[in-house]
Amino acid sequence: MSLRTLLNRYQPDGQRSKLGDVSDTSLAFWLLLPATLLLGLIVVYPVAKVIHDSFYSMSIFSEHGPAFIGFANYADALRDPDVWRAVRFTLALCIVTVPGALLVGLGLALLANRPWTWRWPVRLALLLPWALPLAFSGMIFAWFFNTEYGVVNDLLRRAGVAPISFLLIPQWGFLAICIATIWKTSSFVALILLAGLQTIPRSLYEAAELEGASHWQSFRHVTLPLLMPAMMVALIFRTISALQSFDIPYAMTQGGPARYTETLSILINTTAIEYMDVGYGSALAVLLFLLSMAVSSLYLRKLYKGTV
Amino acid sequence: MIVSRTLRILAWLLLLLALPVQADTVLRVFIGGAAQRPDLFRTLADRYEASHPGIRIEIGSGAATSELQRKYLSVLLNAHDPSFDALMLDIVHPYQFATAGWIAPLDPYFGKEKDTLLADGLPIYRQTNLIKGKLYTLPAVTDAMFLYYRKDLLEQYGIAPPQTWQQLELAAKTILQHKQKPALQGLSMQGAPIEGTVCSFLLPYWSQGKDILDANGKLTLDKPAALSSLKLWKDLISKNVIRRHVAEVKTGDTVNTFKAGHAIFAINWGFAWGVFQNDADSLVKGKVGIIRMPAMTGGTHATCLGGWQWALSNYSRHKAQTADFLRFLASPESVRFITLQGALLPPYLSLYDDADIQAAIPWLNNAKPALLGAKSRPLTARYAQVSDVLRISTSAVLAGSLTAEEGVEDISRRLERILR
Repeated sequence: MSLRTLLNRYQPDGQRSKLGDVSDTSLAFWLLLPATLLLGLIVVYPVAKVIHDSFYSMSIFSEHGPAFIGFANYADALRDPDVWRAVRFTLALCIVTVPGALLVGLGLALLANRPWTWRWPVRLALLLPWALPLAFSGMIFAWFFNTEYGVVNDLLRRAGVAPISFLLIPQWGFLAICIATIWKTSSFVALILLAGLQTIPRSLYEAAELEGASHWQSFRHVTLPLLMPAMMVALIFRTISALQSFDIPYAMTQGGPARYTETLSILINTTAIEYMDVGYGSALAVLLFLLSMAVSSLYLRKLYKGTV
Repeated sequence: MIVSRTLRILAWLLLLLALPVQADTVLRVFIGGAAQRPDLFRTLADRYEASHPGIRIEIGSGAATSELQRKYLSVLLNAHDPSFDALMLDIVHPYQFATAGWIAPLDPYFGKEKDTLLADGLPIYRQTNLIKGKLYTLPAVTDAMFLYYRKDLLEQYGIAPPQTWQQLELAAKTILQHKQKPALQGLSMQGAPIEGTVCSFLLPYWSQGKDILDANGKLTLDKPAALSSLKLWKDLISKNVIRRHVAEVKTGDTVNTFKAGHAIFAINWGFAWGVFQNDADSLVKGKVGIIRMPAMTGGTHATCLGGWQWALSNYSRHKAQTADFLRFLASPESVRFITLQGALLPPYLSLYDDADIQAAIPWLNNAKPALLGAKSRPLTARYAQVSDVLRISTSAVLAGSLTAEEGVEDISRRLERILR
């Protein structure tokens, strides 16, 4: 069926199309134009500009104008210990918070899916961290872990333990950021998994029960396999956003102490926005883009292998 | 009928278009934090408005610290935003802003006045206000770092105010031993990764006669001097003269610690004197002594110049009017008013002989020699990066996450990369 017949079907009787006699191709062109222009303006142009700038030495504070320097920014980045440290920290954050959020999120989703009286409060509590702005969550946890006034240290003091400057010691800072990130993101995972759980027919569990399967067995052999697609979706989203972590670590430590908790995104922001070193910052942004692409393509391969 | 109606609408439209021409010229001035006293400058703005009909002054505030102000203004000015006509800038920022073309030279509006202003200003302003030979800023208030001490405690134990860091260590240890008060600290100073910590690194470094940059902006970092600078603080921490949490301490924290009577010595800006003396909740009123910064053994007394400058935004749509308003703000009369009301240090030498100011700031005569020898933090277009390196590495050494040796290597490697 052509586009034209499809459109005509929705024309009220007796009215001629105001579009006149345009061909299918040109109609399609006009219908796609606004979206294409919009995407070009807000996606393609900025991405192309970043890639272009990454080949230039370009700083607002430079005494000279922009100069083409080829791959020099990339070569610099690969030699820059700050970049490697930021990459390591970002990957570590991914490795801890993605499975962490998946586990906590799965628990929350199972709880919210149980047919019991407390289902609604649980579902509501699920939405709350998700609805909070990221920077806001970061600030809440920064106060939690504050040396002098934080609730965590207050509890430690009451238990007779000396207070810990969580956000001033690299390892503790990492842990604090992981806890905040898992708390904040597990509700997003839970929402996706809850939607997945709802699509599993009850009859399957009844069948499993009739066959004499235990709770664990029906979870292992019914819930988990059928939840796999939803989990993959949650994992892809969560991994990409973990690779781009900015708000929570920035609000909690600003990358400190001594840049130990600087993620790649924070480094890009500092370089391109604070130092206005646009060329080098753009090269770092392209590297982050490549890293995200590489990780998501791993997932996508796994996903397609699963379905074919 | 239709014609007359059309004409009437046209007449109304023309009237509407003409209205803004009739309205006042609004000049918008950025004065960042409450510590920069926008309240006092409001009074001056009111006076200016009264004598200049047709001009209205609006003061925009926000961002309490120098770093946040820089971030905010960078975003605004990089977008060529004309929202602000005049900017009050921390003295470390104009060089960077001028290189980026965000602020306009004042020479066209000042002519010969420029020389009079510079002749009366503190000598260091010849370096900070003139950028590549052009006048870019005018002084608003000046400041520098001083050593505050508890007069009562030092007198009680017959100790003279320390001239060297070694003497300070001895004095602090003696008093701490006798007092046995757990809340009492020897020396309170800034160690968090904030702008003030750049000075914490530079004070003992400069005292050894070394500089970070030469006159041409080339890096001249002296590693042994940098090492002894960081080691001085590490040593004072290990002897418990400085508390271990110093890497968390910001300017406001040292002010509050000293104000509450919890420190024998404190390194702080001159503005803090007014706070200790005048705040209702100050427990050290009348017990505060202030002297120039101690020197390294065998070194000189060096202090860090601070304070705030006026600049003209390059994106202002009323440059001539704004320059005239800045002339008024930077005039010795206006500065005298601010100095008296805020107990802040004046940027003009002539005001140091003013009897009223001497009465308002009794330690003015002690401050003058320190200010005459005050040094400016590195003047470079990449100051934001240089500052980050110095404060982050210094803070990391104070926190113990880097050794002093690693700190120096870190500073040296990073500065080389930034200033190559």
